[in-house]
Amino acid sequence: MHPTLQRLQNTTRRHFLQASSLGLGSLALLSLGASASTDNPLAPKKPHFAAKAKRVIYLHLSGAPPHLDLFDYKPELVKRTGENCPDSFLKGRRFAFTSGVPKLLGTPRKFEKRGKAGVWMSDAIPKLHEHADDITVIRSVFTEQFNHAPAELLLYTGSPRQGRPSMGTWATYGLGSESENLPGFVVLISSGVQPSGGQGCWGSGFLPSVYQGVQCRSKGDPVLYVSDPAGMDRDVRRQSLDALKDLNEIQEKELGHPETATRIAQYELAFRMQMSVPEVMDISKETKPVIESYGATPGGASFANNCLLARRLVEKGVRYVQLFDWGWDFHGTGPGEDIRDGLTKKCATIDKPIAALIKDLKRLGLFDDTLIICGGEFGRTPFREGRTAGGNILGRDHYPDCYSLFLCGGGIKRGHTHGETDELGFGVATDKVHIHDLQATILHCLGFDHTKLTYRFQGRDYRLTDVHGNVVKGVLA
Amino acid sequence: MPCRFSVVLILIGSTAASGQTIDFNRDIRPILSNNCYQCHGPDEKERKGDLRLDTQEGGHEFAIVPGKPEESSLIERITTKQGGLMPPKKTGKTLTEKEIELLKQWVKQGARYATHWSYVVPKRPELPASAKHPVDAFLLAELKKKNLGYQPETDRYTLARRVALDVTGLPPTWKEVEAFVNDTAPNAYEKFVDAQLAKPAYSEHWARTWLDLARYADSAGYADDPARTIWAYRDYVIKSFNANKPFDQFTIEQIAGDLLPNPTEEQLVATAFHRNTLTNNEGGTSDEEFRSVAVVDRVNTTLTTWMGTSIACAQCHTHKYDPIAQTEYFGLYAFFNNTADADRGDESPVIEIGITPAQTKLRKDLDAFATKLDAAAKKYPKEIQGIAKIQVDALKKASATLKPVTTVPIFQELQGNQRRVTKLQHRGNYQDLGDVVTEHVPEALSPLPKDAPKNRLTLAKWLVDERNPLTARVLANRIWEQIFGLGIVRTPEEFGSQGELPSHPELLDWLATELHRTKWDQKAFVKLLVMTDAYRQSSKVTPALLEADPDNRWLSRGPRVRLTAEMVRDQALAVSGLLSAKMYGPSVKPPQPNFGLSAAFGRSMDWQTSPGEDKFRRGLYTEWRRTNPYPSMSTFDAPNRDVCNVRRPRTNTPLQALVTLNDPVYVEASQALARKIAVERKSANEKAAFAIRQVATRPASEKEVARIVKLYEDTKAGFAKDAKKAEKLATDPIGPLPKGTNAAELAAWTVVANVLLNLDEMLMKR
Repeated sequence: MHPTLQRLQNTTRRHFLQASSLGLGSLALLSLGASASTDNPLAPKKPHFAAKAKRVIYLHLSGAPPHLDLFDYKPELVKRTGENCPDSFLKGRRFAFTSGVPKLLGTPRKFEKRGKAGVWMSDAIPKLHEHADDITVIRSVFTEQFNHAPAELLLYTGSPRQGRPSMGTWATYGLGSESENLPGFVVLISSGVQPSGGQGCWGSGFLPSVYQGVQCRSKGDPVLYVSDPAGMDRDVRRQSLDALKDLNEIQEKELGHPETATRIAQYELAFRMQMSVPEVMDISKETKPVIESYGATPGGASFANNCLLARRLVEKGVRYVQLFDWGWDFHGTGPGEDIRDGLTKKCATIDKPIAALIKDLKRLGLFDDTLIICGGEFGRTPFREGRTAGGNILGRDHYPDCYSLFLCGGGIKRGHTHGETDELGFGVATDKVHIHDLQATILHCLGFDHTKLTYRFQGRDYRLTDVHGNVVKGVLA
Repeated sequence: MPCRFSVVLILIGSTAASGQTIDFNRDIRPILSNNCYQCHGPDEKERKGDLRLDTQEGGHEFAIVPGKPEESSLIERITTKQGGLMPPKKTGKTLTEKEIELLKQWVKQGARYATHWSYVVPKRPELPASAKHPVDAFLLAELKKKNLGYQPETDRYTLARRVALDVTGLPPTWKEVEAFVNDTAPNAYEKFVDAQLAKPAYSEHWARTWLDLARYADSAGYADDPARTIWAYRDYVIKSFNANKPFDQFTIEQIAGDLLPNPTEEQLVATAFHRNTLTNNEGGTSDEEFRSVAVVDRVNTTLTTWMGTSIACAQCHTHKYDPIAQTEYFGLYAFFNNTADADRGDESPVIEIGITPAQTKLRKDLDAFATKLDAAAKKYPKEIQGIAKIQVDALKKASATLKPVTTVPIFQELQGNQRRVTKLQHRGNYQDLGDVVTEHVPEALSPLPKDAPKNRLTLAKWLVDERNPLTARVLANRIWEQIFGLGIVRTPEEFGSQGELPSHPELLDWLATELHRTKWDQKAFVKLLVMTDAYRQSSKVTPALLEADPDNRWLSRGPRVRLTAEMVRDQALAVSGLLSAKMYGPSVKPPQPNFGLSAAFGRSMDWQTSPGEDKFRRGLYTEWRRTNPYPSMSTFDAPNRDVCNVRRPRTNTPLQALVTLNDPVYVEASQALARKIAVERKSANEKAAFAIRQVATRPASEKEVARIVKLYEDTKAGFAKDAKKAEKLATDPIGPLPKGTNAAELAAWTVVANVLLNLDEMLMKR
């Protein structure tokens, strides 16, 4: 092809793929790396500096797990269980489901320091004990949002309101994807319920929609519409795409529209995806020991299955895999939400798979450059939830001021605890980590200065961390 | 030194090199806005060194000595090698040589400031050299400067499809196209355009664009995303376009229909425009917090929709680029802060539609009577109570027959001591309140009439007042973008100092004044644009033309853009004969895959497909759930409508290919089309020609026919050997084979139809 036309075709494609020209938006994309000059907006791109992590697996426990019964051990709170919550913690505060003076609730669970590093963990997550020396627990995360939907949106988009691009979108926009036949950003959901933040948690906001998360499923089409219609086999699909290509080329020749060639390429990519997506989503291809190590069941739709799928996806070059697991809203409104038995049972569905995921990534040599994050959207109160305080079930209300989550893998310290809460667990005592700080840190691990990964919309350069965020250096390896 | 200077002058292009005057808005404001205003702009709190560069007064105070760049500290600070270079390194911003030279030239020429172009009321400019059509006169004048011109008019087949899609969102029928192609009248095209404009489909298509701005959806949003009954508002929008309601009236009804004297039902329904905000029903949420979020959304949506101004930054702090202070933001907030809705689960206040006042009164009487009788009955012995109960039930039954057709949430202004006092919210936090703020509009924009009451009605009238510099330009630009693909201002969501400058400023002003002159006649405006020569050009390109005008910003060829999600769907249904022409009514549920998921704290995402023709309604009637929008449409860039959406991206992705190849909706359309092809004419060649004509409304070339027949024959041979597969492909999901048809043939034609519906030309307006 004529070199000028080739260049323009690429320019036009890029332009076409980018919500039409957004001025600096296009420049930002261009400046992200040399390979951006190809026609594929998902082509791999270099970040701002050498990255420790090349990909992300985010394990979201939707509903906000009770961190005081998992990672943040507060012996003083245990001692004072049943006492009235001190007034100073309640004054001028609003809680989702608690009014009046609630009773303090120390953890009923057994805590011990685990691993050589001595990371505090409760008995709810026995398999994770073995990985205490692999992970960093942050006990000083805080947010402003104490309702699920706004808190999840803040965590995943940097704003508690709808409309901004999600973290996985930013990562894929910045880095492209290593896979040619799979989406760059995949979402997997277990326990039958969408996260509260809805699809906004993986939406592309005002960024081009090629960067939005693609939900993959264990039942039905693994990606929507990936299967050919009933009665059409692969040969017929191939024949029909050949005819489509020929017909499109007749028009392209006549009218000279360069985007027609792009369209032809997208159909070929779709054809390849029809092969590669079902293949990668079929966990029965794994060996029995591997399947068993996760506790996965081929054909099911569990968190365990999704952990194994996450590994299969990143292995194939997917950039960002986001898991959502429903059922962590431990109010105590039913036996499943009791921080004793209920939590033991719920944790059993994730403890083994997460441990297996870490082991499996290590086995494949992927642990060192895969960033894993695991946690919820906020914390839970150090006192009993108001509505359920009279009953036998122990539950906690939503709490934004402090909570725990853990990270491991690419760029993260191994066997480390960052930050502390005060003795009753009402506030962060040292090393505060705001949600925007967490985001800045994740982007840092991927090789980005979070202040410079921007996209221009409505005349402003937007970023994941809004106008905030500091990299949490204390957790970096 | 002089030598270097001249080199730079050439670099900075025609403006300065040819000795022209520097234009502040074109040449200087973008530099200052992007690099300096963050610290030296309107926001007093962020201002550094007491220097304000966004006003002439501030700039000339000490940083600029007009006429003397060498004495101006502004120039010194941006060129210094001594340290203290501006902008500071840590901002990551640097000025280019070209920008520095422009600033020097500007200071040399007196450093004159000008009001930002979009804040100046548009004046009707003189038409440039003669052309048949005023719009072409402006466009051709620009093209001439670039040594470009128009392409020849495109063929009538292409033109018919292009204009039908733009006006109605649907392709024309072959019959219409044939008549147009054979019409020898000199005004054949105009007749064709008028016929399209007269179709009700026009109103459905243009309503869709408005519904994106109105963030219309059939659910309330957030975690549980419950169903919301508000489709009467969607019908209001369609009816308004159908009646070609003047845009000023359309505006006033939606912003303040409830404040009009003796408002009609229609005017009240219109106010649902701002009841499309999200409601948060998640347990434990503060209604006041999310009521405040809704009011903020109303302010932002109003300013974005009518004035192309993204004002959201000013919610938390004084705008850093545009002269909008935080107090002024809350001045606008105050207008919307006294409606009776308050993030309630029942969406109150709502009104009932399709029930007369007399019927409502009768229902009330019946209910009251039933309650009374029920109470009275209790005094009687048990056996007699039974008789009374029969009567009570009869009354209740009668009352239940007096049902409204639907309900719709509306605006209702609070009165007397119920009224809320608006206070500034520090950093946009609804709990951290500052001084009392009363209703007012930003000073930089046109003022409100002096004696008018400070309420929403006044604000609504102010939006569409001819002295408002933005509204007509914003509307003209948005319609232009729909027709030509790119706005004259390419950032239709931002006309402020951070937005792009118009490519054709005079044309935009002429169009804005044309909207004023025609009393906001939108249909006439659409016609005005599609009647231009610019619109009627061929969209054919050559490498040279692509190089000269890569984005077609100068309209050196006809428009060519991807169809919207709804158009892709509607077209497939239309050409296969499945599309229902039914208008209005409750939203429908076309087939979608089962997800086996629920919304958080909410209902299942799966739904029962609507029966009968409701399965095949136009896309705009599809039930719009915010947390899981209809998947095939969101793949084609339809927004989820959480917030006001001005411009949809037009992407091209493999996931889109999977939709139009494999989504059962498109498979069914292919099967329906195959059945049409199978009964049409005799030979495979004739059938193939018919098929192309049917989908693309143009004659097929021999080459195309040959390729289609080859595909048909090749696949038919395979299907002939596998009857089961053939039958599946020909019948699932459309239904059993029609009598006397051959499964292998129908299956092969289904393959063909599936290919044709996926042609690049089918996904494009071109």
